[in-house]
Amino acid sequence: MRLKLISCEIFYREMCYAVSQSPNLIEIEFLPKGLHDIGSAGMLQRVQEVLDKVDETRYDAVIFGYGLCNNGLAGLRARTLPVVLPRAHDCITLFLGSKERYLDYFNSHLGTYFKTSGWIERGTSSSGELNQLSIQRQIGMDKSYDELVEKYGEENAQFLYETLYGYKNYSQFTYIEMGIEPGDMFEQLTRNEAAEKGWEFEKVKGDMSMIQRLVNGVWDNKEFLVLPPGQRMVTTFGPDIIKAEMIK
Amino acid sequence: MEDLKELFEAIVDGNAGKSKALTAKALTEGVDPQEILNKYMIPAMDEVGRRFETNEYFVPELLIAARAMKGSLELIKPRLVASGAKPIGKVAIGTVKGDLHDIGKNLVAAMLEGGGFEIIDLGVDVTPDKFVKAVKEKGASIIALSALLTTTMPSMKTTIEGLKEAGVRNQVKVIIGGAPVTQKYADEIGADGYSDNASSAVALARKLSVGDN
Repeated sequence: MRLKLISCEIFYREMCYAVSQSPNLIEIEFLPKGLHDIGSAGMLQRVQEVLDKVDETRYDAVIFGYGLCNNGLAGLRARTLPVVLPRAHDCITLFLGSKERYLDYFNSHLGTYFKTSGWIERGTSSSGELNQLSIQRQIGMDKSYDELVEKYGEENAQFLYETLYGYKNYSQFTYIEMGIEPGDMFEQLTRNEAAEKGWEFEKVKGDMSMIQRLVNGVWDNKEFLVLPPGQRMVTTFGPDIIKAEMIK
Repeated sequence: MEDLKELFEAIVDGNAGKSKALTAKALTEGVDPQEILNKYMIPAMDEVGRRFETNEYFVPELLIAARAMKGSLELIKPRLVASGAKPIGKVAIGTVKGDLHDIGKNLVAAMLEGGGFEIIDLGVDVTPDKFVKAVKEKGASIIALSALLTTTMPSMKTTIEGLKEAGVRNQVKVIIGGAPVTQKYADEIGADGYSDNASSAVALARKLSVGDN
């Protein structure tokens, strides 16, 4: 098959690795992680624009390296090619290999912040245009401590800083090792950050298999939604996460 | 009463020290606490909400105003209780089971409190059972549910089911909100209302409280 892969850059290393081993001919287009910061309507619009530009004569299907991503892909329309979407709330499902494993881990480790090579290399706040458009900026949650002091005075600034940026209910970093990283540099960076914040650290083994099934074309309906042309993806708010709906 | 116009402004400006001092002074001068609340504090928070909706104010301004309001409220609350004054409604608010994010929940709680509601803050990762207890044991008239993640949104549905199973669903109004939440989802799970920001949550709660008291 000839596939177009549209993926969040968070999966940069994983997608490149899986594509290098895939029997399919795949072209990858990575999109900035900062799309997640501009709100679901803005994110959908940008992702849809990229999808709509795909040359339908060159591919058999378009596959997505995305989850539902806080509804940032909800409403995505397949126009001329089938579109393959992982049934995932977010990228952690793909890193852990299944939505069931993610849900189990999520429910038994509340307050966990996940780290992967992509999150360390590309997960920091957006820059440029996406930063200007970010929800954080629009609602006034993008200010440094000094800016808060200048605007609201020392006493209020301290309160605001703790309230807005405290991560106060988080207590653990979980580093997901996918087994394709060059040594342990990302693990060490996560360990250091955990020590600085006084958080717990845990390393878990990631699972490349769902990403591999995505790029290899093994699209079981339990794991992936294959959106036929003329339909759009909507949320189910249930265990299937997403479903197809006719475009009216 | 020129001093109390200053209280209104201190809250709108988010000046906690000043609003507290002015409230304390008014109380020692014998001003009716109900009057302080209804004529100055609640209107101040309404003004803050108005500025938020017209994009003059953003989240930080909302937070510091709510904090100033809270400081003053703590001073007058014991007197209000002693005088037998009743809030316009009791809201049990919490972030649903599995979700620990509370900036939005705290903001809505503060705005509702500023809007004259009594708040029972159940915190984060709140099980359906705790909401049921807040209705049965504390007489909550409104349940406000928050979730930040699509992963935890289904807990809103199970909370409403929990209220039904406990036989208290018809005693309360359920309102929901949070980044991924929509009116469509509210309709789907049978919530009574949805709001996409803290300021309009107050208007929603007021609307749902009409006729309850």
